[in-house]
Amino acid sequence: MRRARVVVIATIAGLAGVLSFHTKPATLSFGQPVGGPAVPGGSPTSAPTSTTTGPASSGPPATTSPSTSPAATRTATGAAINYSYGVVSVAATVSGTKLTNVTIASIDDGGNFRSESIDQQSVPVLEQEALQAQSGNIQGVSGASYTSAGFEQSLQSALTQLGFK
Amino acid sequence: MTPVQPAATAAPERARLSHHREQVMGTVVTIDVFGEADEVTRKEVHLRIARARAVLQSADAVFSTWKEHSPINQLRRGEITVAQAPPEVAAVMEGCATARSLSDGWFDPWAMPGGFDPTGYVKGWAAQRALGALSMPGLTGGIVNAAGDVVASGRPGPGRPFRVAIVDPSNRKRFACVVELDGGIATSGTYERGAHLIDPRTGQPASRAASASVTGPDLGLADALATALAVAGPAGLAFIEPIEGYEGFVIGYDGSWQYTADFPFDTARSGRGITSETASVTRTSKSLS
Repeated sequence: MRRARVVVIATIAGLAGVLSFHTKPATLSFGQPVGGPAVPGGSPTSAPTSTTTGPASSGPPATTSPSTSPAATRTATGAAINYSYGVVSVAATVSGTKLTNVTIASIDDGGNFRSESIDQQSVPVLEQEALQAQSGNIQGVSGASYTSAGFEQSLQSALTQLGFK
Repeated sequence: MTPVQPAATAAPERARLSHHREQVMGTVVTIDVFGEADEVTRKEVHLRIARARAVLQSADAVFSTWKEHSPINQLRRGEITVAQAPPEVAAVMEGCATARSLSDGWFDPWAMPGGFDPTGYVKGWAAQRALGALSMPGLTGGIVNAAGDVVASGRPGPGRPFRVAIVDPSNRKRFACVVELDGGIATSGTYERGAHLIDPRTGQPASRAASASVTGPDLGLADALATALAVAGPAGLAFIEPIEGYEGFVIGYDGSWQYTADFPFDTARSGRGITSETASVTRTSKSLS
C-alpha cells in the first residue's frame, strides 16, 4: 500500500519565492559580505556536509576550525592532485587563526582549451561549463561534490602544512 | 568585480541577460538571468544580482563551519543559544528537522561528528533564497547553481523549460541524463568508492549510491534529501516517493538506474551518457512501503 503523499509545509516559503517570480521579492536583510575574498570552506559542498571527499580530509569540516593561533600571515601550497580534468595545486593563506585566502597555485589540464579562462577557484564551475558546452540547450549541470575532490585534497594538504587543523 | 557580463553569443542563450560567478561557501555559485533585453535595464539586473550575492555571502557568514567566529560555530561550542543566533539559524534548524523526519533519519545534522552541522541543507537553502532575490518584472527566468545543486524558476526562453544535466558518475565529463527543471535539483554521492558520506545511524562512513539526485520545489530540502538518498541507496527511494512534489533518482555503482515514478527526465532524453550497455533502467515499484 502506498502511503499518502506528505505535504511539506516547510517548503511553502521556498515555493512562494518561486511562484512569485514576477512580483517584488520579499524584503531580505543583506548583511555586509564578510571576509573579503571568498574563503573556500564555508560549507564544502552539498554532499560534503556530512562528507569528506578524499583520504586527505578525513573529518567533517568542523574539525578544521583552528584551535591554535600562530600569529603571522603564512601561505602554503598544497600537493598537486590529479583530478578529473588534470592536475591542480591549491595555495592557502592563513593569518593568525583565520583562513584568509585560497587560490589555485597551478593547474595543468593537458592543454585543454579551458586553461585560457582559469581563474581562482573556478575549477568546479569550469568542470560544469565544460559539460554544459556539450549541449547548446542546457542551463545547468547537477553533480555531487562540485568542489572538486582534487581541489579539496590539495587545500587540505596546504592547511596541514600550515598546522591549520 | 564585474558581476554582470555580456550575454553569451551562442544562439540558444540569446535571452540570457547575465551570467555571474560568485565565490562563496567554499565553491563557486553561478547566477543566470533570462529575459528580453529591451524590457529590463542592465542596472536593474545588476541590482538583483547584487541582492542575490548578498544572500549567499550572508548565508556563508552565518553557517560556515570553517569560520571560527561564525554564529553556527558559536552555537556548536555552546557560546550562544539558538535565540541569540541570527534568525536564519532557527529557520535552518527547522528545515533540517523536517528533512530528518521525511528521510526517516537518513539525513541528520544532529548526528554528525562535531555536533550540529547543517551544511547539507544550507547550500541548497541559500541558493533557493538567492533565486528569490532575483525576481523582478520583465525577467522570464532565473537559475542559480550552487556547485551542482541547481534551482530554477520561469523559463530561459519562450516555450522552453530549463534543462539541467546530471553528471554521469562513472565519467564526470559526460551526462547521465537531462531533467526539465522548475524548482530545484540536488545531487549527492561519491563517485569513487573510496570517498565517503557519513551514515547518521552509525556515525561511520557509508555510501550506497554512486549518484543520488532529488528534485523538488525547495532546493534546501532537495539538498538534504539527496544526501540522505546517497547514504541510504536505492532503498531510500521509498522515503522520497511519498513526499509531495519530490522525486528521486539513483545511479548505482554498477551503473544501474532506479527512480521514483515521476522523476522529471527530459522527454528527449538527450543526455550523452546514456548507453544501453551501462544503464539498465529499473523502475521502482509504486507500491514501495
